Amino acid sequence: MDKRRVIMHIDADAFFASVEQGFNPLLRGKPVVVGGSETQRGVVHTASYEARARGVRTGMPLFRAKAVCPEAVFLKGNYGHYKAVSLIFQEVYLRYTPEVEFTSLDDAYLDLSGALHLYPSARWVAEKIQQEVWSLTGVSVSIGIGGNKVIARIASGLKKPGGIVEVPAGEEQTFLADLPVDFLPGIGRMAKEKLFDLRILKIGQLAKLPKRVMEQLFGKNGVKIWRFARGEDVSPVMRKIFPKQISRETSFEEDTSDLKIVKGTLQYLCERIGKKLREERLICRTLGVKIKYSDFRFHATSARLPHAVNHGAELFGAAERLFDRLRLRRTRIRHVGVSVSDIESVNYQRFLFDEQTRRETLDSVIDEIRERYGFMAILPADTLELKRKYRMEANGYILHNPALTR
Amino acid sequence: MIFEDIFEPIEVITHFKDGQMRPVRFKWNGRVYKVFQLNGHWVSNQGYNRQHHFSVIADTSDYFELLFDGFNFDWQIARVCLDG
Repeated sequence: MDKRRVIMHIDADAFFASVEQGFNPLLRGKPVVVGGSETQRGVVHTASYEARARGVRTGMPLFRAKAVCPEAVFLKGNYGHYKAVSLIFQEVYLRYTPEVEFTSLDDAYLDLSGALHLYPSARWVAEKIQQEVWSLTGVSVSIGIGGNKVIARIASGLKKPGGIVEVPAGEEQTFLADLPVDFLPGIGRMAKEKLFDLRILKIGQLAKLPKRVMEQLFGKNGVKIWRFARGEDVSPVMRKIFPKQISRETSFEEDTSDLKIVKGTLQYLCERIGKKLREERLICRTLGVKIKYSDFRFHATSARLPHAVNHGAELFGAAERLFDRLRLRRTRIRHVGVSVSDIESVNYQRFLFDEQTRRETLDSVIDEIRERYGFMAILPADTLELKRKYRMEANGYILHNPALTR
Repeated sequence: MIFEDIFEPIEVITHFKDGQMRPVRFKWNGRVYKVFQLNGHWVSNQGYNRQHHFSVIADTSDYFELLFDGFNFDWQIARVCLDG
């Protein structure tokens, strides 16, 4: 039997916007921008291909998107829509193989190695998946097929929207050779500039560098990238993976220097992260805070927590300390965010008769109350300050960026 | 294109089959609309209340979002989309 791995990476095209177009066919063929209404502050989360053709880009401020594409339909986004469509994706993928790794709402890796004998070819599976997803959701997906996850991922991004790119076994290096270096995972803007200074623009050039050079340039990560450039990646498709990071962030309706509001928001975001961690029975060991000022200058920092936590108040304690350390300017604040990383399952040593046990009991009671009466049924008193700024519904404050409100 | 939040109670004729439900006709503002196309269905939770949202196109070619509250067993017209 052929021992070659066959990995498929499936990525939805302009996911949020495509879902909105699927849910409301009147939007099909029109430029759609998901992120907020055109009068709101904030940025574009996703633009449909029609909007992209008119110059709208992800991350662009909404007012600029409106300027470049006045006829666009601006939508706040609805997490319920995306979750529902993502569940349909999952159902479809799992019909073809049980080895599916869902990396986000809209992309996934499928390991077809063990199931391929059931189908005519990997391309046939890709075409069937594309058809099924399209007919059930109206969302188009791009698919990459290769011998490992990195090749499949790069391939899926090459022929968007709606493309299928298959890289035959043994041709990984040829496939990668002429692609720009920033197609490789791990090469961001800084790394690209570093390589540009060395006149290394293509992956083929990078693959020819001695491994030691990459190690000197980028440390441990350099070796990983060097292997990717040679088409090597042994990472498995894992059915259940822990998220690398969970983050919650929001912009303020108007820039503020009111620390009660800012800290109340931080606390609220920490509560939401704590809830998410406990729902998934996870803990985190690192917490990060970011601030964007009214002049768009941006600062972020993170710190390792003294012990693994999933309790909102503890997360907020750490977030507040980081925030106080980070906020050195007296400028008004536009945007705050909290993220947690180094996430693992709840498996720490339990202690007898300590505060942690009390807290866990309290958390489980709070979670039960929220399950029954909604997230807002019980809140830390400090976050009530936000009532002055945001509308409330049973499941939370309606923050400024609804697409990010989970 | 304008979206307008409505959230008004409506009467709906619903078809239940194979554990699925779908609105067939609804009456709003004294007018009966036939559901021409069901674009999608999603669920949200309000505490223990499970709310089913249906994105539909009516026979008048208008877009509506209908909302069924699983706790109260009532239907609402959540929002409409006015093309233009």
